[in-house]
Amino acid sequence: MSAIETIPARASTPDDLYQEAAQTYGAALERLARAYEGDPDIRRDLVQEIHIALWRSFKTFDGRCSTRTWIYRVAHNVGASHVVRQSRTRMQSLVDLEELENLPHSNTDPDRTHTLDRLLKLIQKLKPLDRHVILSYLEGLDAAAIGEITGLSASNVATKIHRIKNLLARWFQQGGKNDE
Amino acid sequence: MNESPNSSVLEIWQRQPVEVTKMSLTEIRRRADKLEHRVWWRNAREYAASLGALVMLAYSFATTHDVLSRVAFGLFFAGLIWIVAQLHRKGSAKSMPTGVDTVTSLRFYRVELERQRELVTTVWSWYLAPLVPGFIVYTIGHAIRIPHLAAWAGLALLDAMVALAFFVIWKLNMRTARCLDRMIHELNGTK
Repeated sequence: MSAIETIPARASTPDDLYQEAAQTYGAALERLARAYEGDPDIRRDLVQEIHIALWRSFKTFDGRCSTRTWIYRVAHNVGASHVVRQSRTRMQSLVDLEELENLPHSNTDPDRTHTLDRLLKLIQKLKPLDRHVILSYLEGLDAAAIGEITGLSASNVATKIHRIKNLLARWFQQGGKNDE
Repeated sequence: MNESPNSSVLEIWQRQPVEVTKMSLTEIRRRADKLEHRVWWRNAREYAASLGALVMLAYSFATTHDVLSRVAFGLFFAGLIWIVAQLHRKGSAKSMPTGVDTVTSLRFYRVELERQRELVTTVWSWYLAPLVPGFIVYTIGHAIRIPHLAAWAGLALLDAMVALAFFVIWKLNMRTARCLDRMIHELNGTK
């Protein structure tokens, strides 16, 4: 599912908007939840929490931003709340992109599942704001869209995307140099 | 930066197998209602408990004939009113505006957490201290009314237990403050 899909104009009532959103962005919301919660049972609850938040949110949706931006904002905000709540039990502190660049990483593995697991682990180390940016980038959103969702300036988004590209290249393509 | 390796990571991310959750509108409404009811009942329980304690104190104040005991119950009553007012003023959770951007929502969240941290770190001043005058007057009144060593020993034991309870409450709040500190730290970088 591509993240650049938008909700058709025919969806007008809050219920219609929600149903269209769930249909169009359902897979993206699952991926997003996966980046916020590793435990499948807790993740199931988180996904449901996102759906409920989304349904509720459409009652106040005024069209000042695109439905895509709205959906990602609502979903990310639920995810961020979840991350902060979980910090009570988390053993390790979250880091930001700059700190993550300096962490050691394991070797490249051509196996897609392994790459995905490592990618998820990498994302789950990040603080909420940087997590939003990297997830939006992975969903294929451009800098302007990421700026609209996060509220970061264009230059800030550009810097973060540059860091993300470096990070992904270093963690998933080069390998060997800084192996654990 | 080489585009193709990153593109492959993007592709792996976007093509990962996911099982899409399907929730009917009925199910969503049911769960949303359940959540609202849970919040309503939690608030109702807290206010009912405070109201119950106030009614008991007011009854004790009205029916006791000993002046110092009456003063003590009056002080407890005033202290409890003060606590409930502070809890309502400082402790009421504000709901996050819907659909705001990430930076705004994280700022809002951080302010809320800082407010909660302020509340728990100052628990002595707004929660425990207002009850102290009542306990002091109650202890003095009781000691004057029953001038026996055994009664005084019992009173000392009661006061020690109250002091221990205060200490435990304070320690628990300090632990919550450290937890909130960690949560706030994890939200940093959102300016």
